Amino acid sequence: MTRVSGGLIDRSRSLTFTFNGQSYAGHPGDTLASALMANGVRLVGRSFKYHRPRGIFSAGSEEPNALVTLRSSARAEPNTRATVAELYDGLEASSQNHVGPLGFDLLAVNDLMAPFFAAGFYYKTFMWPRAFWERLYEPMIRRAAGLGRLSDLPDPDAYDRGYLHCDVLIIGGGAAGLMAALSAGRAGARVILADEDFRLGGRLLAESDPIDDAPAPQWVERVEAELRSLPNVRILTRTTVFGAYDHGIYGAVERVADHLATPGDGVRQTLWRITAKRAVLAAGATERHVPFADNDRPGILLSGAMRAYANRWSVAPVAKADDPVAIFTTCDDGHRTARDLLAKGVNLIGVVDARADAPAGKDYEVFAGGLVTGTRGRRGLTSIRLRHGGQDRWIDCTALGVAGGWNPNVHLASHHRGRPVWDDTRLAFLPGDGGPGGLIPAGACAGKGSTAAALADGAAAAETALTALGITARTPDMPRAEDHADRPSAIWHVPGKGRAWVDFQNDVTVKDIQLSHKENMRSVEHMKRWTTLGMATDQGKTSNVTALAVMAEMTERSIPQTGTTIFRPPYTGVSLGVLGGGDTGADFRPRRLTPTHHWAETQGAVFVEVGPWMRAQYFPQPGETHWRQSVDREALAVRAGVGLCDVTTLGKIDVQGADARDFLNRVYANMMGTLQVGRTRYGLMLREDGTLFDDGTCARLAEDHYVVTTTTANAGAVYRNMEFARQCLWPDLDVQLISTTDAWAQIAVAGPKSRQLLTRITDGADLSNAAFPFMACANLTVCGGLRARLFRISFSGELAYEIAVPARYGAALMQRLMEEGADLGVTPYGTETLAVLRIEKGHAAGAELNGQTTAQMLGLGRMVSAKKDSIGAVMSRREGLAADTRRLVGLVPVDPAQKVTAGAHLFTKGAVQNTVTDQGWITSACHSPHLGHAIGLGFLEHGDTRIGEIITAANPLEGQEVALRVASAHFVDPEGERLRD
Amino acid sequence: MLIPHPLLGLRDAQEFTYLGDAALIDRPDPEAGEAAFASYVYDRDNPAGLHRELWFHEQGDRSWLVVTRDTLTHEILGAELARNVARTRRAGA
Amino acid sequence: MSLRPISSTLRESAFVTDLTPTCALGATTPRSLRLGAFGLTECPEVALASLALRRDAPRPDATLPEAGFWAETALGTALWTGPDQWMIEGPGLADTDFAAQVAHRAPGCSVTDQTDGWVLFDLSGPVERVLERAVNLDPARLAPGQALRSVIDHMPVLLVRRAPDRLGIWGMRSSAESLWHALERMLAHLSAR
Repeated sequence: MTRVSGGLIDRSRSLTFTFNGQSYAGHPGDTLASALMANGVRLVGRSFKYHRPRGIFSAGSEEPNALVTLRSSARAEPNTRATVAELYDGLEASSQNHVGPLGFDLLAVNDLMAPFFAAGFYYKTFMWPRAFWERLYEPMIRRAAGLGRLSDLPDPDAYDRGYLHCDVLIIGGGAAGLMAALSAGRAGARVILADEDFRLGGRLLAESDPIDDAPAPQWVERVEAELRSLPNVRILTRTTVFGAYDHGIYGAVERVADHLATPGDGVRQTLWRITAKRAVLAAGATERHVPFADNDRPGILLSGAMRAYANRWSVAPVAKADDPVAIFTTCDDGHRTARDLLAKGVNLIGVVDARADAPAGKDYEVFAGGLVTGTRGRRGLTSIRLRHGGQDRWIDCTALGVAGGWNPNVHLASHHRGRPVWDDTRLAFLPGDGGPGGLIPAGACAGKGSTAAALADGAAAAETALTALGITARTPDMPRAEDHADRPSAIWHVPGKGRAWVDFQNDVTVKDIQLSHKENMRSVEHMKRWTTLGMATDQGKTSNVTALAVMAEMTERSIPQTGTTIFRPPYTGVSLGVLGGGDTGADFRPRRLTPTHHWAETQGAVFVEVGPWMRAQYFPQPGETHWRQSVDREALAVRAGVGLCDVTTLGKIDVQGADARDFLNRVYANMMGTLQVGRTRYGLMLREDGTLFDDGTCARLAEDHYVVTTTTANAGAVYRNMEFARQCLWPDLDVQLISTTDAWAQIAVAGPKSRQLLTRITDGADLSNAAFPFMACANLTVCGGLRARLFRISFSGELAYEIAVPARYGAALMQRLMEEGADLGVTPYGTETLAVLRIEKGHAAGAELNGQTTAQMLGLGRMVSAKKDSIGAVMSRREGLAADTRRLVGLVPVDPAQKVTAGAHLFTKGAVQNTVTDQGWITSACHSPHLGHAIGLGFLEHGDTRIGEIITAANPLEGQEVALRVASAHFVDPEGERLRD
Repeated sequence: MLIPHPLLGLRDAQEFTYLGDAALIDRPDPEAGEAAFASYVYDRDNPAGLHRELWFHEQGDRSWLVVTRDTLTHEILGAELARNVARTRRAGA
Repeated sequence: MSLRPISSTLRESAFVTDLTPTCALGATTPRSLRLGAFGLTECPEVALASLALRRDAPRPDATLPEAGFWAETALGTALWTGPDQWMIEGPGLADTDFAAQVAHRAPGCSVTDQTDGWVLFDLSGPVERVLERAVNLDPARLAPGQALRSVIDHMPVLLVRRAPDRLGIWGMRSSAESLWHALERMLAHLSAR
């Protein structure tokens, strides 16, 4: 154990966990990384490309190395950063990216082949021979690609989403964020304070410098207590704000239960969509390292991380308490770590400070102007090569902290293409202009890195936000805190022969960057893609700026001249599970059920999804083993007797108003103005471009009251378009619209015995042909006084009606019709039979109204009235559309045993088959039980004049070619006598 | 995105359905002929900058709005009830 | 003769029929649920009618609420749904021809029966915790006295904040089961915290 004194862990309790099957112990407050370190585990994973041994590198979400698979089986989550995984009792973790045991990875041979795996390796190597790509290269790359493995099992956990609204969102709960929250909270603003850590405080938890003469964590606790007492402040810990979106909308993930073994009955993570009037970005800074030869061994980590482990987690990165530790720094910050390590009793052998003007160490040796030029240690650091005073020498060293200065976390500030700007004094990119509106960077992410500066800047940012919102801010008293300058130096890497890693996760070295430059990758974007630098899951948090500096050195330009890279969301990885917000399986989307749904279930109906609707597709009876048997029986029953079908899903729009008649005349292409009260008319709606939009019926219930039906699929679009016509095109017409689709249960009663059946339930209504002819409609009562609407309309070609009752009575009405019609052979039918009946009758449906169909093509060209203006009327008469000679026809196979396939294309018999000779296509097809063979509907060039001609239907996809006879589209009762009977 | 609904304040764009150029309000006179309609149906400006466009508050009060948006920044400069815009234009025409 | 135009007839009496109505959730009795601090109840007894003003007609003799609000009025509980348009609730009147009653009291207006087009769920408890899961609306815009249309899990809803701890949720009748399921799931997750 290498625990040191102090820290923010709860030593009174012990937590047991396993890593690669081995059991260890840690404490509440530990991360997996700190607990592994406390147990002397240094080798935690293998690098992506070369399978180099890797250890813990950072103490936060920027971690490039310590990626583990957390949990097991269905809950296994690859690429979890050990540095942010909160320890819980029973945690299981395993290392990734090795074949065989972690300590002896068979793929470590890649490291020996490194000269072949240089920048652009994939692009150069896998180009030839071409034939090798599919069979050899791709499978090989796929097997080696990716970090970790998915379990391939369904995720057993629940996720949800939510929406939050606030005046000020504060991103980050360190010094700046806490001060901003305090200022805004005290002023009464609605505040959300979000931090990715499980504990507020940010770097204040990792530093030893006091605030107001007491340890900083105590100040954090006091502020947190006050914030929690304010009803207008909401604190979200374990919450990463991962992206900034338009108009002050931020995406955040709260890891609700990732610190527990399982979420229990609750959710694992919540996706928050936060709408904030202003936001303060107090995201802090990420330390950068200084590449030198073999700088990637376990035991080499960021100096600030080393300090955080010592101060917050009471652990030193060594196996034994007296193991030698050194610091390599290019700025004053490395000396802070040295002092803190000494205070914790760590065996510090000295600070290698690359600057000639390095400060003297108080109780430790300083190698001013020194460099670390190499390391040794197969599975962990054992010694470093120190170049000092013109001499190289090897020194025993088990852990090395590297301090290269701090990069402000500008990520969210660049999400709207806000370009970071280079600050030559701080040697860092700071948030620039053009970022998300209303986002105010503060503290270390704005370059104000000392505690005192961050506290003051947080308060100032809150004041800026509050002033913009018209809220009076009272700036709190500033606590006393350290205000050191960091004095960074422009020493970006240590030149030398060995491989010096810049991007650990994607194994990109200084040499790779130099090579890409030699190969003429001159823009940063090209260099990134050629080398894959910054493109791993850490998105180059610890490497991008260093790589730019190396590139600048190559080109002898300044860093800002060389360029910068901006960041896209997400700030850290977001699981797809939480982005789905729990909408999986049956919860993927809502369903709409018809009023007779549960009745149909009791009848054994098979259902089909029609958009959001669930509709009965057919009703299998005992003994029926194939759907065709059920559908044939249902269709024949309708034509011979009477059938019932729930048609509630058709859109219904109630149209009222003094100008309702005039309005409908303008939205329908055919004449609607002459429709009498008590009558229904078939109607065509066009798009303004002249093609067909939708069809349906229009019933006039009173002088100023109509009800319009639409197809099921277009109900929403037709309503929207009618509102557009009402509000935008003819705003002076007096017309009111409202949907009534769900209000009425509508049942089609179809077949020669339909009148007989309906007479039994309508309360004494006269349904004779004279009193209630074809296309009549009326209000009446049924079943002893229930108000209902009756329409005499037919989709099947038979004598038919649609009866509507308030939806809550739909199921009961269906049952009553079934009982009353038992002696008439009443038969429920589903959408499949509905389709067969309409194809037999030659009625157009969705397959015919495909968005390119004109009224003429349906043979309804004369319906488009030239006597009035209506949507699409002018354009329907334009040359291209008017000249369209394709017409809807019926199609019958010459050999009755042959199938007709929808989608097949039509050709003149014997003609060459290509796009030029194409004569049309089959839109709908089915077996007609009425005729005893297959039939189809289709659009055929001059189809109206080709009745009787034998043509060819070609379906090359299925290798079919069928001879068809062109027929009338009306296979049943072409004169329409039955429906008028 | 947030749409500043003139009656209901800021509402999330998820509640809206987008149509496009607000010029669709200016439907030609039926006597204006085919060319005028062809232009109305097909010709659209695609400005890099301010754009007046139609949004339908489908999951809300069913108002059509004319929203002025900067296509470069997504900044929204204002929103009006399309019905009022249409009435004003007709009164001015 | 039972064939007649619907719009002219006023009938306040309960429906006379021997058919048994079904609640939107599919049973003959309304569903209800208690989960932790939350209660959720299906309310089939509340009638609903839409009311829209016409161009030249007089405003009805009732103080109709402004955009975003609801109010008790002479017609019933009125919820603003759009410019010159409201929904009127009639508690306990679902078995009557409520639309006809509203039409009678608001002559010259366009009135449409909506009772069967919608389902009403009454949510009680700390409703703001549910609101932040359910709808992308600033809760400040849904304080007691306010009513808004929005969307829950892709389903259109009309929300009525009746009191700090009570929310009426009107949803489409056909998606009643999906809406109930979505709310039940939210309540279960919230209660597990």
